[in-house]
Amino acid sequence: MTNEPNSTPPEDALREHSFDGIQEYDKRLPNWWLFTLYATIIFWVGYWFYYQRAHIGLTDIAVLQQELARIEAAKLADPANQLDDATLWKMSRNAVFVDAGRSTFTTTCVSCHKESLRGVDEGGIGANLTDNVWIHGSKPTDLLKVVDKGVLAKGMPAWGPIIGAKKTSEMVAYVLSHHQEPK
Amino acid sequence: MSEQKVTIQYNDRIVRQFLLATVIWGAVGMLVGVIVASQLNFWRLNFDLPWLTFGRLRPLHTNAVIFAFVGNMMFAGVYYSTQRLVKARLASDFLSNLHFWGWQLIIVAAAITLPLGFSRGKEYAELIWPINIAVALIWVVFAVNFFWTLARRNEPSLYVALWFYIATIITVAMLYIVNHLSIPTSLLHSYPVFGGVQDALVQWWYGHNAVAFFLTTPILGIMYYFMPKAAERPVYSYRLSVVHFWSLVFLYIWAGPHHLLNTALPAWLQMLGMTFSLMLWAPSWGGMLNGLLTLRGAWDKLRTDPVLKFFAAGVTFYGMATFEGPLLSIRSVNALGHYTDWIIGHVHGGTLGWNGFMAAGLIYWLLPRLWNKPLYSTALANLHFWIGLVGILLYVAAMWVSGISQGLMLNATAEHGTVLAYPNFLDTLNAIRPLMLMRVIGGSLYLVGWVMLAYNFWRTVRGAQPVDGTIEVFVEKPSASDHLGFSGTWLNAPVLLSLFLVGFSTLWMLGTDLVSIAGLIGAIITCVAGYALLFSRGKQWQDWYERLLLNALPFSILTFIAVAAGGLIQIIPTVLISKAANVEDRLQVPYTPLELAGRDIYVREGCYNCHSQMIRTLVPDVLRYGDYSRLGESIYDHPFQWGSKRTGPDLAREGGKYPDVWHLRHMENPRNISVGSNMPSYPWLLADNTNLATLPAKIRVQRMLGVPYGPSSAQQIFDEANQQAKAISLGLREAGAYIAPEKEVVALISYLQKLGQSEPVAPKAAATR
Repeated sequence: MTNEPNSTPPEDALREHSFDGIQEYDKRLPNWWLFTLYATIIFWVGYWFYYQRAHIGLTDIAVLQQELARIEAAKLADPANQLDDATLWKMSRNAVFVDAGRSTFTTTCVSCHKESLRGVDEGGIGANLTDNVWIHGSKPTDLLKVVDKGVLAKGMPAWGPIIGAKKTSEMVAYVLSHHQEPK
Repeated sequence: MSEQKVTIQYNDRIVRQFLLATVIWGAVGMLVGVIVASQLNFWRLNFDLPWLTFGRLRPLHTNAVIFAFVGNMMFAGVYYSTQRLVKARLASDFLSNLHFWGWQLIIVAAAITLPLGFSRGKEYAELIWPINIAVALIWVVFAVNFFWTLARRNEPSLYVALWFYIATIITVAMLYIVNHLSIPTSLLHSYPVFGGVQDALVQWWYGHNAVAFFLTTPILGIMYYFMPKAAERPVYSYRLSVVHFWSLVFLYIWAGPHHLLNTALPAWLQMLGMTFSLMLWAPSWGGMLNGLLTLRGAWDKLRTDPVLKFFAAGVTFYGMATFEGPLLSIRSVNALGHYTDWIIGHVHGGTLGWNGFMAAGLIYWLLPRLWNKPLYSTALANLHFWIGLVGILLYVAAMWVSGISQGLMLNATAEHGTVLAYPNFLDTLNAIRPLMLMRVIGGSLYLVGWVMLAYNFWRTVRGAQPVDGTIEVFVEKPSASDHLGFSGTWLNAPVLLSLFLVGFSTLWMLGTDLVSIAGLIGAIITCVAGYALLFSRGKQWQDWYERLLLNALPFSILTFIAVAAGGLIQIIPTVLISKAANVEDRLQVPYTPLELAGRDIYVREGCYNCHSQMIRTLVPDVLRYGDYSRLGESIYDHPFQWGSKRTGPDLAREGGKYPDVWHLRHMENPRNISVGSNMPSYPWLLADNTNLATLPAKIRVQRMLGVPYGPSSAQQIFDEANQQAKAISLGLREAGAYIAPEKEVVALISYLQKLGQSEPVAPKAAATR
């Protein structure tokens, strides 16, 4: 690890002076230790040049915005974002979607809307989702919009950005499964 | 030269007192630690009592172990070793006693005020302003007593342990005073003079260096005295002592911003924090090397001697923690580890391993010498070591796994990186429950070990006769040729080159085009010249340094310059530039009187111990909590509440996310809403009335600090607060919940609903950098 000769301790020169009986060797600094120090100093110079002087490295915010743009593009291209009422009704009769929706609902929605979906009528905070009163529109796409974008004034968070389009549509299918498609 | 032989008796009584205080406060601090760790896993242990909740007890734990436990241990070690290293009795018995009793009184005051909720709302700086003044005064007493003793020394040269003590005393005074600058609003309450990003920077300049200069440098000094004493071996390398001392004290100060990586802190500060933390790795390991390699030729003693076991393990943990620190300062690693238990594990590797084990070694070594009686039981001390070691390893391993697991879960995304894999924060919390339990077990084992030490202590000193050390010295008058003077201190190559190098490097880093290039050229020339001179005149440099060691005052001044540089270069530009007037993008809307009262409740309950208010510039943070936090959005926050740990979710954009009734039910009992939450219930917020009477004084101070409150009479303030409270109460009634507008929870809800509100700032045409 080091280039220095491995001398045994007694052969090392001790400093003349001792303090309260404590003596000191004056061994040279280990090379690997010095190398570590120099390497981190060189890293500092290079890092600072890369980001702060030459501006080759992107800023945090530029990186973040690139990433967010990519995410938005992926979402716009996602077929789950182009659902219509008829499709959502169909999904609500399909056990695959409804079961997936139920499990998301159980972790995400029950704190306000309750396990029974009856919300305020059962001591919860959120609206009752089983009755026929729809505050923000009764079409499945209206419902989808509420879950996706939220109704901040009423305290409904926007879930779309958090759980994603797929889970949002499944959850809407689950809620719709408690209702009948109007003839 | 006339020589006179005198016998000096050391003041070892004060050492015995500090040692006893160390044992007692250590046990208290660790016990509170075990309690708060248990509370995190079993919320019922908060007992629904204000003074027993996690948010108030956690500051008690941190303050107790830092200032009471390590503080007393440091004073014992410093006073014992300094007297012997300078061959003089402590300068003043009165100051020594004042120091001891003053410090214990401060600890008692802290132990009473913190559970009662009197807090400044800044980590490790929670104590209220009258206690701050007492701490500063007692610290000055310590400093006077120490430097006066140095002035009366019968040993001309300063040993390396003393360098570290000098750095400790100077730097802690500087950090403590600046970070505690506040304007009182009443006898028990004040607002820090810095706000928002400035407060964040100053706080972590202090917080990080409290670790450096309260928990590290004094203990390194103690290591340099007691390790060679216990091992009966010479120190490994004087040269390494010189290089690692100066690089350590200079570099440490710059690293504070690594606590604020990926936040709204300006990028240049974040980069200084990260790169200087990396550069700190080698200087820290210099201390570890000098400690461990001093044991060369004495390793066999470790088998039998508990003192050396504790020292060797303590120094090893120091090495581990100072490797982990730079690692965590790398911004991408920090994106994972920050706000999680990994940081808790990192800290406890240092405190339990380094501080706690060095304290134990110190105590076991001193007991027989201060009471002139062999240690009651070496076997028990060895058992303490093994139980403590298992405790630390369990604790630290649990926190590594917990922190990395939760960090990975929080940052995990699904569906091609477009959504969070675990959108429900509680899923990530409940995944680490078993590890939180393992931490409680590890911490309890460590406490059991400490109780063994206390028992061993008691059995050793019971009935024993205390003895004070004595020494015969020849009193020498210092010769005039040793005196360094102004020119000898400043006008020499090592000092000038160092000053030039720091100056030129700073110009290169922060200057604009031409200045920067000039700085670069200057720095290169300084390096080349320094390298050449080191080889041609290295011997002269050595002689100069030997002479410097004979001059305590010039040494102390140079140390002060070295530790002051980093802070000045980081803090002054931030205080001058990062003001509301210069904010781009978004500006915080000042709090209404009721919201301010609510914020003070938030601070009182210590919500910042578990909730951050800082959405980092990282995709998972933005996906989970909303748009990233801007510098201007907390610019009026005195104190800032960015937080350092997310046991619960971030609250920077909490406002408007949920209805008022959600918050009401949640405060009453979080499990009403969030099944599986570990947050304490806050029933007293629904029972107690908001204290509005203090608001006029508070708003007056806020206005003094630059928060744009218009001039309003006390009555106007009360009216405005009551009106807002009534509106909230009315809205809650409509939602089916009755709560009187006077209750504290109403003020708190008004504050929580304000979080994240800002107004856009028109881009300025000629925005200055």
